[in-house]
Amino acid sequence: MGVTPAISRRVLAAIVLFLCAFGGSERSEAERAARWSDLKHAIFGDRTVEDAANRVTIDAPARAEDAAVVPVAVRIAEALAPEIRGLYLVIDDNPSPLAAHFLLGPLADAREIATRVRVDDYTYLHAVAETADGRLYAAARFIKAAGGCSAPAGKDQALALERLGKMKVNFTERSKTDEPVRVKLLISHPNNSGLQMDQATRNYIPADFMQTLEVTYNGQSVFRLESDVAISEDPTFNFSIRPTDWSSPGVIKAEILDSSKRHFTQSWPVPNPAQM
Amino acid sequence: MAPLIALLLLSRRSVLALAAITAAVALMASASHAETSPLPVTEIAPGVFIHGGAHEAANPANGDAIANIGFIIGRDAVAVIDPGGSFEEGTALRATIRARTDRRIRYVILTHVHPDHIFGAAAFRDDHPDFIGHAKLPGALAQRGEYYLRRLRSVLGEEADGSEIVLPTILVSDRLELDLGDRGLTIQAQGPAHTDNDLTVFDKNTRTFWLADLLFIDRIPAIDGSIVGWLDELRRMRAIPAERAVPGHGPVSVSWPDAAEPERRYLEAVARDTRAAIKSGIGIADAWHHVANSERGRWLLFDDYHPRNVTASYKELEWE
Repeated sequence: MGVTPAISRRVLAAIVLFLCAFGGSERSEAERAARWSDLKHAIFGDRTVEDAANRVTIDAPARAEDAAVVPVAVRIAEALAPEIRGLYLVIDDNPSPLAAHFLLGPLADAREIATRVRVDDYTYLHAVAETADGRLYAAARFIKAAGGCSAPAGKDQALALERLGKMKVNFTERSKTDEPVRVKLLISHPNNSGLQMDQATRNYIPADFMQTLEVTYNGQSVFRLESDVAISEDPTFNFSIRPTDWSSPGVIKAEILDSSKRHFTQSWPVPNPAQM
Repeated sequence: MAPLIALLLLSRRSVLALAAITAAVALMASASHAETSPLPVTEIAPGVFIHGGAHEAANPANGDAIANIGFIIGRDAVAVIDPGGSFEEGTALRATIRARTDRRIRYVILTHVHPDHIFGAAAFRDDHPDFIGHAKLPGALAQRGEYYLRRLRSVLGEEADGSEIVLPTILVSDRLELDLGDRGLTIQAQGPAHTDNDLTVFDKNTRTFWLADLLFIDRIPAIDGSIVGWLDELRRMRAIPAERAVPGHGPVSVSWPDAAEPERRYLEAVARDTRAAIKSGIGIADAWHHVANSERGRWLLFDDYHPRNVTASYKELEWE
């Protein structure tokens, strides 16, 4: 009588293994290409998406140490950067693939923009840059990481609550006043994916994430971001600003709207080079 | 009461025989786990028993029995301190207890949320103990429990059968005194350190300080709460006099407080070098190459956990 359950358990284990074997980590290149083709169509319709051929590159670890915090930097070649007005980050095999859409304002320096994302399974990550006249340039990078979307968040949950919505900026040193201002913006937000289940209630912990982020410099747009649960807990953004007027003191302002309709805003004076 | 009277009437040899029979009965009771044998334990102080975990990541061969777990026997009752990494390990631990005493298992202390310490809890359900956890344990289980269970099942396969999340029935937000009968235990809730829900246990009779995963020896510490908080707690705990300490990973008994020195040294090095990396603009993915390299070779599983420790510390310290 003990035999039957043991066998059925083994059969079950085999079925689970079989399913896992066909998960994202085992997809063929052809399946991955088909996936990207579907996503391209869903996001860009019938528009042509060109291969960026090194004009757009992605810097991300080939194997992520923590799938919930995968740093991604998108670099755009010097010659192309001034034409870029939009940037899409697509994580092909995530439950919600379009991770971020940046709409770059006139003050943005498009040469490098970085953030941290959640990666749910071995996947291609695509960065698509959009020019002012509507051309699309795509770059791809394969990332080995798994479990980032449902991975537990919040190492110190009391702190996370206390700090919710708070922001911090770090300015990178610049030697001359007319260099772009390099900014690292830290945002304290759980950016809950909604994919974690509370075992006590059997309910999923509600998704609670940053929907939009707007960054301005002296009232002019640097970028507006439409984002999703694929951005890591405590989102960070590295970007640069090219002020048009170097003579007056600069103020950076960040405004957030999250999926719980909370609104957070904070601003910082940009220190002059002597102060940094 | 009957078994107790029987014990009083029997000779020492008979007691041992009876204990063996009791263990055998306990084993047969877990019918679906007929292969379960009692866990070997060491009595590190009178009435304090520890099973030493394997210095490995969880895998089917070790069945997630990778943490130091054990129990303390008082005149009237038994307290389990961490029921182990799976139902199977919990069942084996229970068999070990039952081979030594028939006193009631009144408390099962869950030192923190990590799977290698608590997934054996369901093996003690029929004893109807109080399950004791940090006040923040339910929140951590809500966030992580399902994920941990899924991962346990994928790593262990059918060996994970029966492993469940058991919610604490008594929450400790500061301090709790337990009495096992002429044996007092002090349960102390710690601030965010290894996790945000760490408990320590102090056995007053033998002055044994059970730190669980607030103390790692030989195996690299895993930072999953707060590196700054852990260093603070360590400073405070080192001032507590004790005859011996029980680490969550490492030898089953070590001297206190000097055994904490390597852990302090590692955590200090990670904090110092991560701060330096943030200051010099090194990104989060690359930082670990620049952090605490002097510690490489001094810890088991360094490459498995060190990069994640640095990522966690980086995320914490960049807010300073």
